[in-house]
Amino acid sequence: MAFLKLAGTVTKRMGMKSACYMYPVVAREFTKTTRGHVELDSADCIYCGLCQRKCPTKAIEVNRQEKNWTIQPLRCIVCSGCVDVCPKKCLRMENTYSSSVTSKF
Amino acid sequence: MSKRTIIPFGPQHPVLPEPIHLDLVLEDEKVVQAIPRIGYVHRGLEKLVEKQEYANMVYVAERICGICSFIHAQTCSQAIEDLLPIEVPERALYLRTIWAEMSRTHSHLLWLGLMADAFGFEALFMHCWRLREKILDMVEDTAGGRVIFGSCKVGGVRVDIEDAKLKDIVIQYNDLEKEIKEITDVFVEDYSVKHRLVDVGVMSKEDAHVLGAVGPTMRGSGVAKDMRTLGYAAYKYLKFEPVVETAGDCYARTKVRIREVFQSIDLIRQAVAQIPGGPIAVKVTGNPTGSSFQCVEQARGDVAYYLKANGTKNLERFRVRTPTFANIPPLLKMLGGCELADVPVIVLSIDPCISCTER
Amino acid sequence: MTTTAITAIIVILYLIGAPILGGILAGLDRIITARMQGRYGPPVWQPFYDVLKLMSKEKAAVNKTQNFYVFCFLLFMIFTGAVFFAGGDLLLVLFALTLASIFLVLGAFSSNSPYSFIGAERELIQTMAYEPMVLITAAGMYLATKSFFVADIAAFSTPLIYYLPGIFIGFVYILTIKFRKSPFDLSTSHHAHQELVKGLTTEFSGPTLAMIEIAHWYENIFLLGIVYLFFAFNPLLGVIVALLTYFLEILIDNSNARVTWQLTMKSAWIVAATLGMANLIIVFFKLSV
Ligand code: SF4
Ligand code: SF4
Repeated sequence: MAFLKLAGTVTKRMGMKSACYMYPVVAREFTKTTRGHVELDSADCIYCGLCQRKCPTKAIEVNRQEKNWTIQPLRCIVCSGCVDVCPKKCLRMENTYSSSVTSKF
Repeated sequence: MSKRTIIPFGPQHPVLPEPIHLDLVLEDEKVVQAIPRIGYVHRGLEKLVEKQEYANMVYVAERICGICSFIHAQTCSQAIEDLLPIEVPERALYLRTIWAEMSRTHSHLLWLGLMADAFGFEALFMHCWRLREKILDMVEDTAGGRVIFGSCKVGGVRVDIEDAKLKDIVIQYNDLEKEIKEITDVFVEDYSVKHRLVDVGVMSKEDAHVLGAVGPTMRGSGVAKDMRTLGYAAYKYLKFEPVVETAGDCYARTKVRIREVFQSIDLIRQAVAQIPGGPIAVKVTGNPTGSSFQCVEQARGDVAYYLKANGTKNLERFRVRTPTFANIPPLLKMLGGCELADVPVIVLSIDPCISCTER
Repeated sequence: MTTTAITAIIVILYLIGAPILGGILAGLDRIITARMQGRYGPPVWQPFYDVLKLMSKEKAAVNKTQNFYVFCFLLFMIFTGAVFFAGGDLLLVLFALTLASIFLVLGAFSSNSPYSFIGAERELIQTMAYEPMVLITAAGMYLATKSFFVADIAAFSTPLIYYLPGIFIGFVYILTIKFRKSPFDLSTSHHAHQELVKGLTTEFSGPTLAMIEIAHWYENIFLLGIVYLFFAFNPLLGVIVALLTYFLEILIDNSNARVTWQLTMKSAWIVAATLGMANLIIVFFKLSV
């Protein structure tokens, strides 16, 4: 029988640094591979609409006539499918999360 | 006859991470019956296949559950690859195995934390999750997501892990192993923890069979069944034995999961040592036909995927039987006759994942 | 100055100071707990912010009697401490304490929620568990000092701990129950994470819950006051031991699971019967011959 088995760990922890950090005062570090949010370099886009068709959540809308590309960040599940399929490689997966918003669109 | 109280347990309850409802019929503090009700987070994936291309279903399947995420994607990919049919490169199989085992370690640590919380041990809960966080960081570093790995696709995997990084993972796991041991020893040895787990929610070997328990819930009752022994992905090249405990109580189930954490770390070590070079994916062409049935061991037990295709780009039938679904009948059995105070512990002991169950 | 005037000043100091001290203690508790768990934790003043916020909330009660019971709980808790710090009768103090907690139980019973109902039942079981040890403590202090008056006990020249080491340990043991700390946080815990949601206090909200919080601060200071009594021969030592005891409780809280009520009851009584009774008998014989 062992009593107070965790007592050693908790007393040790008292003198150590906290395991969590003070977000957002301390910024979060993203890794190189982190899938954060989708960005478009609109100069290269040919508005082919492939990304729109590939997107599993229908987050992207491409209008060929008006040369318009929009994304609804809250629908996007950051699967990176659109980035993989874009023929012009003009979509990028940024490694920072999309910023907070106060309204849905 | 004493007075009966009905305690509504869930769907919103602090101990439950997810919505399931149990009506607990109590006599004093003894549970005489537990009546379940599910269906709060049903999302209708079976219908969704008619709209999504088969390759996209992998992303959707991965989001069935936030904890077994990778293994869902893996199973779905495996089933579609079986339908097409295509051979997946060896390296991809190994990478899948490594990610699946990382997913198992973080899932079990998460569960250990939740279990600690269920028996009112907050400090232990925090420390389990502190360790889990380090694994999530590794996952983010290799796959790109924290809980949704998003690294599996039909035909292989989407990102490679360089050899240097693979070595680094093993080094990090070596350090982590000591810390995990320090924490899991508390579960195994501490008096107050044992007081809450030993002889609570006992399920015999026969019951485990008859009621169709799966995963650690079943292995805790002495049935040595582990889907990884089927040898899918790279498991056929790795050496391991299913972890079995015989007592059948919550303590045994906890011990099974603790030992599985170390087993997973060992499997990662083996896989990293043997991983071959080469491509990580093959090109996928054509549409699937026929039907496929896949069983894969998730952290909570075996998940079964049944896929049927008719040669179009949409699948015809998509059926997932998740481990928690199979574990609910055993749970109700365990709950009968227990103390109210033990209900959270017993419910947690099957590692319930409700969003898995309801898809 | 007359003794009555001094007593009055002490009581007034207690009335104002206890909630402040108790709140700071609760804040320190949360910081230390957070450090033990590897977290940052809130600022020291967080408990005060919480109570102020609760005060500003809408009064939503299941029924009216509930608020009355909780008010009585607060009132008797303050009364308990006031009599204690005025140097009054220890027996009166202890029974007022019991009365106060019974009011809280009544408040929980009066709302038909099954959670608070079972929480109240468990609170009664807990009361049953710690009560023998509390009485033994009072009896022990009487045997040692030949007085039930707190003022006399505090002024006793020999250290009480010298006579009552077993009773002291037993009292610290049941303090875990009184402070609502693991492993004995059965009826309600500091965080709503148990089968009873928040148990006893599930159905209280807003200003009513704030009253319960404040009552707990009074209660904690009073309980540490009893710990102090054991070391009253040296006031500084007394305060240090009281604080150390509180720290010990935090440590115990963070290294234990919540046990069942059966074990709570059994162990508390065993402690009372062995440590408490043995100590009592020894003191009885030592001082009577
Ligand atoms: S796939 Fe690429 S090029 Fe085509 S519309 Fe989308 S972003 Fe533009
Ligand atoms: S990342 Fe995925 S979900 Fe987001 S827009 Fe691209 S395809 Fe759609």
